[in-house]
Amino acid sequence: MSQELRVTFTREQIAAYAEASGDHNPIHLDDAVARSVGLPGIIAHGMLQMGLAARVAAEAAGGADRLRRLSCRFASMVRPGDTVTFRAENRDGHIEITAMNQEGEPVLTKASVDVS
Amino acid sequence: MATSLSIVGREYFSVEVTLEPDRVAAFARSLGTDPAGGVPPTYAVVYTWEATAPQILGDASAGIELANLIHTDQEFDWTRQPRAGETVVARSRVAQDVYRRGIRFLTIETEVTAAGEPLCRSTARLLVRTDGGQ
Repeated sequence: MSQELRVTFTREQIAAYAEASGDHNPIHLDDAVARSVGLPGIIAHGMLQMGLAARVAAEAAGGADRLRRLSCRFASMVRPGDTVTFRAENRDGHIEITAMNQEGEPVLTKASVDVS
Repeated sequence: MATSLSIVGREYFSVEVTLEPDRVAAFARSLGTDPAGGVPPTYAVVYTWEATAPQILGDASAGIELANLIHTDQEFDWTRQPRAGETVVARSRVAQDVYRRGIRFLTIETEVTAAGEPLCRSTARLLVRTDGGQ
């Protein structure tokens, strides 16, 4: 079973995730701070990307309760306006995840999920 | 900052975290999932980072500021997924703290139990920009 989710990231979504997760690192919220540490502007939380990857993985697994291991590398920055396509494919208890931006670059790598 | 500063091996106090149903629901909505569908798996970042962030950022001798932290890798291993309303206990330790080409790499491991039983283990890898990102 495979699942796909396409998301265009917005500042509002990133701010909502910061509030809900409690991760108020200003590099996700304040362009001036983000630029002061060498970033091009605010970036999405890696954990927001991982949360969306887990969402498609849970759909492919037949329920979030079945997830037992989830891992990934945050390979490229995601900025507001970027569109990321998350795909999860279930291969007998091991789910492979890909997350590609609109340029076809992977934003998550080494992403995988084991289910019960 | 001295590039020799390392806090590898440092362990922090256990922290009790209740998975407040309202916060779990807000977290689910921020990911576009149904709040009635249980605790989103990556809510684990809330109950593990709670055990890490206040201690490591509040520890002046650790030399780490929030805006200089970049999350590079994350792994969660669960025995089971928790339920909204449960209280868990999380404890973090610094498993690695090394420098490569002027960048500081931290690995933080967090063990989470519920009612004394293992629930989740988190391995977070972060880099710390030590000179304003240059």
